[in-house]
Amino acid sequence: MLEHYMKQGSSYASHIDGLVWMIFLMVGFWFLFAEGMFFWLLWRYRKKPGEKAAYFDEHAEHKIKYNWVEIPHRLILVCDVALIVGAISVWTEVKISMPQTDETVRITAQQWAWTFQHAGPDGELDTMDDITTVDELHVQLGKTYKFELASKDVIHSFSVPLFRLKQDAIPGRVITGWFKPTLAGEFDVQCTEICGIGHGIMPAKLHVDTPEEYAAWLANPSHYLAYHY
Amino acid sequence: MVSVRSTLVALALALTAASGCTELPASGVARGQVLYTNCEQCHGKSGEGSTLVQAPPIAGLPAWYIEAQFLHFQTGLRGAHPDDVEGLKMRPMSRTVKDPADVKVVAEYVASLPAVKTEATMGGDATKGQAAFATCAACHGADGQGNPDLKAPKIAGQADWYVVRQLTKFKGGVRAYDPADTAGATMKGIAGTIPDEAAMRDLAAYIHTL
Ligand code: HEC
Ligand code: HEC
Ligand SMILES: [Cu+2]
Repeated sequence: MLEHYMKQGSSYASHIDGLVWMIFLMVGFWFLFAEGMFFWLLWRYRKKPGEKAAYFDEHAEHKIKYNWVEIPHRLILVCDVALIVGAISVWTEVKISMPQTDETVRITAQQWAWTFQHAGPDGELDTMDDITTVDELHVQLGKTYKFELASKDVIHSFSVPLFRLKQDAIPGRVITGWFKPTLAGEFDVQCTEICGIGHGIMPAKLHVDTPEEYAAWLANPSHYLAYHY
Repeated sequence: MVSVRSTLVALALALTAASGCTELPASGVARGQVLYTNCEQCHGKSGEGSTLVQAPPIAGLPAWYIEAQFLHFQTGLRGAHPDDVEGLKMRPMSRTVKDPADVKVVAEYVASLPAVKTEATMGGDATKGQAAFATCAACHGADGQGNPDLKAPKIAGQADWYVVRQLTKFKGGVRAYDPADTAGATMKGIAGTIPDEAAMRDLAAYIHTL
């Protein structure tokens, strides 16, 4: 369903979506249940000939009223525990753990552009064959990437909807994370932290390349936005 | 369905009218003036520039040069180098004016503004700068008014901090990094012959007095 609106393009995208679904279903169930109950009670104890509308049934047992509150309350606590367990496990996978990675890419945010330092043919950063591009990130399908995210000026946020990845870039810090692309194509990167007048117009393109496409890009980085360092 | 939509459209139009949004003239410098409101934030109401955002004074620069540079920012010939901090700020802004005809009128409007003299900030020696300026005069003219035939812009009176920054960028290949930028390449070659930043400051100090 969510995938219908935004394709899942990373190894953990479906886990994030699963969590969103879980929250939606649980909250949705209790919302409908509580509203249904509410309207049913309003209707059930409405004013009738010879009977006054009443806030509560004076003759009902205290125990019954107690159960109407206490049982759903406990069930909601069970839902909470399930949510917390789900959320922490996905958070740990996406944000805390660092799997074995194949390559590192350095991402720098600034007003109002993204700079990507790719490792180049040798797969090592900070060597002569690094390829630095502006507003254009190239990664290979199925490889696991570590990223090092920094900002030159203010707080920005690196968001790749396809990956279900969003990470703030904080000036003065290098924040690491990872992703593994699972869908080839051209996708959007956007800034999701208000960063000045150009915030809305600092998009970048993410290219998830097949090995052949990636090799072709490596062999021909003479695109005007590409620089050899 | 259709009636709901047309009602919404009518409502939106009424709201826009009520909000007092400026109407955009169809063409001419008047249109350029309205378009220029997008630039004021950085280049200032009278094109005086801003040291805060490092946006240069542009009032009174020749229209052909403003237009050419604007299009360079748009196409990536300028301001797309990863180390060009200020250029990367101007780059997205150049994309807010999409129609080439609009770029022309906004350039004409900026060119029509009287040049604004800024404060000297770099502390260069104008006398030394004057001697070194002999090289520059060949293209930019003895009075720094520029020469459209050589694609050399007016630089007379330009803010000294901006001149030093641009000379540094030309020299380091942060501006004119693309061989397709032929005018830039000319200037890059010249900037490469300026020995150091002190010499750039002296030149800037002299250019500022013109
Ligand atoms: C967000 C701030 C910002 C906005 C808005 C902005 N600019 Fe700029 N502009 C800059 C900066 C910064 C530079 C300097 C780039 C450099 O140092 O290379 C610049 C440079 C320029 C230059 C080159 C000047 C020269 O002497 O070479 C022109 C022309 C220009 N801007 C025109 C415009 C126009 C026209 C608009 C409005 C459509 C505009 N700018 C909006 C920040 C801005
Ligand atoms: C051979 C001709 C030539 C000579 C000599 C020359 N310039 Fe230039 N200069 C140019 C051209 C052409 C441009 C426009 C570059 C572009 O389109 O990006 C330019 C641009 C500039 C700019 C950028 C202006 C702006 O608004 O961004 C500065 C500053 C500048 N020159 C300073 C100098 C100085 C100082 C000297 C002397 C040391 C000098 N130039 C000598 C041709 C020349
Ligand atoms: Cu941003």
